[in-house]
Amino acid sequence: MGKKMNISIIKSILCFFLVFALSGCLGAREINDLEIVIGMGVDKDENAGNILLTAQVVKENAVGGASGNGGGGDDEAYWNVSSKGESIFDAVRQMTHKTGNRLFISHNQAVIFGNDVAKEGLQEYIDFFLRAHEMRPAALILVAEDRASDVLDAKPETEKFPAMNIAKLVKTYGFTSHLYKVNMKDFALWLMSDTTAPLAPLLTIIQNGENKEIYVSGMAAFKNGKMVGKLNHDESRGLLWVLGEVRSGVIIVPSPNETGKAVLEILKAKSKVTPEIKDGKIVMHIKIKEESSLSEQSTTENLADDKAFEKIQKSSAEVIRQEIMAAFDKSREFNADIFGFGEMLHKKYSNEWKTLKDNWDEIYPTIELNIDVESKIIKTDLLKKPAAPKEGEK
Amino acid sequence: MSIEKGKISCQQLLFLFAGFIEGSALLIDFTVGITEHQTWMVILAGLIISTPVILSYAVLAKKFPGMNLVQINDMVYGRFLGKIISIYYIFFFSMTLSFNIRDVGELYITFLMQDTPFIFFLIVFTVTCAYAVIKGIEVLTRISHLILVIGLFAVISTFILLIDQMDFSNFLPFFELPFIKIFQGIHIVSMIPFGETVVFLMIMGCLNKSEHAVKNTFFGLLIGAASLLIVAVRNTAVLGKTQTIWTSASFQAIRLINIGTVLTRMDFLIGIALTILMFFKCSIFLYVMVVAVSQLFGLKTYEPLVLPLAAIEVIIAATVFQSPVDHAMITQNAGIIYSAPLVFVIPPLSLLIAKIRGLPKLERGKET
Repeated sequence: MGKKMNISIIKSILCFFLVFALSGCLGAREINDLEIVIGMGVDKDENAGNILLTAQVVKENAVGGASGNGGGGDDEAYWNVSSKGESIFDAVRQMTHKTGNRLFISHNQAVIFGNDVAKEGLQEYIDFFLRAHEMRPAALILVAEDRASDVLDAKPETEKFPAMNIAKLVKTYGFTSHLYKVNMKDFALWLMSDTTAPLAPLLTIIQNGENKEIYVSGMAAFKNGKMVGKLNHDESRGLLWVLGEVRSGVIIVPSPNETGKAVLEILKAKSKVTPEIKDGKIVMHIKIKEESSLSEQSTTENLADDKAFEKIQKSSAEVIRQEIMAAFDKSREFNADIFGFGEMLHKKYSNEWKTLKDNWDEIYPTIELNIDVESKIIKTDLLKKPAAPKEGEK
Repeated sequence: MSIEKGKISCQQLLFLFAGFIEGSALLIDFTVGITEHQTWMVILAGLIISTPVILSYAVLAKKFPGMNLVQINDMVYGRFLGKIISIYYIFFFSMTLSFNIRDVGELYITFLMQDTPFIFFLIVFTVTCAYAVIKGIEVLTRISHLILVIGLFAVISTFILLIDQMDFSNFLPFFELPFIKIFQGIHIVSMIPFGETVVFLMIMGCLNKSEHAVKNTFFGLLIGAASLLIVAVRNTAVLGKTQTIWTSASFQAIRLINIGTVLTRMDFLIGIALTILMFFKCSIFLYVMVVAVSQLFGLKTYEPLVLPLAAIEVIIAATVFQSPVDHAMITQNAGIIYSAPLVFVIPPLSLLIAKIRGLPKLERGKET
């Protein structure tokens, strides 16, 4: 009995002391001590060798306090802090001289690289973003046409935060398929490949009177981690056709009797790429199946009949083919394998690949494309005929 | 007489086996660095190679009912040689246990709580294991169902949540790596997740009925291997080539989960599952080690040894490696070599010798 009492007293004393040990204060970071970063920009500094890091930090009182006096007025909800350093992590830590707290980058939406940094090569800068434990592999990666800090400065109209706005622009790429969402993991995957050229969406600033507007002008193509060129909207979509990533978008073709235009909306697209080595020549067989709806027409001719459909389908297949060829020609121009043809060959012809890999730069421009597009119009939306007098029918 | 009074049933053995192997899900990262996208076939090959050996453990335990490994060694190899072999086994148990404890600590300081001192996790974790071990094998066995279900839930749910991000062309080309790498990978897989089940030779003596031991061992092994396979396939399909660069491919794959921007940041799921599974594995290891040591010295109970041995394990775990780099190097290269004879040679050899010498009937009278 006495022994049992003793043990229970010891237990309760132990529990009492555990209260102090287990309160979990070690390494605690309260929400008001956090500098929550939602976007980061990397630029080159005037000093050679240094980088200029811009972090977009959320002002917590501006976000949380939907206060009585009109929601904060003109105050911006974010703060763009910048600091210089010899490396990214150096700059991140240098930033504490301005913020007083460590940056909290768990919620980082996007990392934007300035043009000068991208031209010099992202290989050395991306390591931190992959290695830091707070960074997510799903964070987006982008390139600015000029300086990344300017992009983060351009205040959007509907969103509170430029970085959130940029992330939104990229995440909704499916409406046009004129660009492609690239995250850290994708970029790392491309960097690890022997031949595939990494890509990232390209941001441009449009000066619209007083306001600056952010505009995604296409994709930046890299080679060996260095930015080598740009793809415009059509070329980017040409690339996406091959990758099978086209979600939706608009195709404009002339109407069958050339009096106006037929406008198609892409509903569905599929692609299949089969590499083939024939007599030492590499041929990529690209098969694309596309379904679209007739969304608009600018002619009085009735396009909703078999013959017209056939012609429109043919010309829309031609448009797709041209877009793919445009992308391929562009990639040949800077000799960067943006399609990942090399990896496709690697997967199918792993023995031949060992010799192909070493002179891929010479081989890539000689690849032949065999494009087969099957375009179908599967609906005409709300109209059967255009609102026009009957004369078109004869 | 065996030192453990508790009894477990054959069905529970199945859960123990499956949960134990699943606990190594974190450790397949050792293999991934070497075998890249061919990890899945390495796991299958490792399973095929180690199945007969592991089944021989069950046969051995069946042949010596109610006896643990130390007793079997004494009987088969004689007092002196048997003791030496048992000490070798105890060395293996202690090393593997401390490495596993270290894995948990590394998991926590790398991914979950960076600012907390490393040693703190080791102590808290090992004390919990020691508590479970003091309660005895029956208690551990009783929770094995629950642990297996939690593990399978985490593995399968993350697989389903990541299906939209999988690219199955990542598995191509099928045969690319040089054979020597595949061989090393198979060696690691058959040593670390599968070969470590040699610890069950210390537990199978507690079986109340041993007639279904072989069958249940086999199914336990299959369930464990299937969950490892799902993990390997998920990581390769989601991460592709990058799976070789991350400290923990599983964690990074799960961080990519993004279902409608709502179901994100699921790291906690894998954190919880791995902690529980590793707890289970380490508890079994600690139990086995404590029982082996007590049996070796002929103690009446093993309880007094639990805390001191746990403390030694913490110290080994905290001091033996400088960093995960060291850890991976030693495990990939040295660990699998010194444990190979214990896993692949001695148990089948014991079985053979026992057959030839007509054991254990011969010495049954002498033993009691």
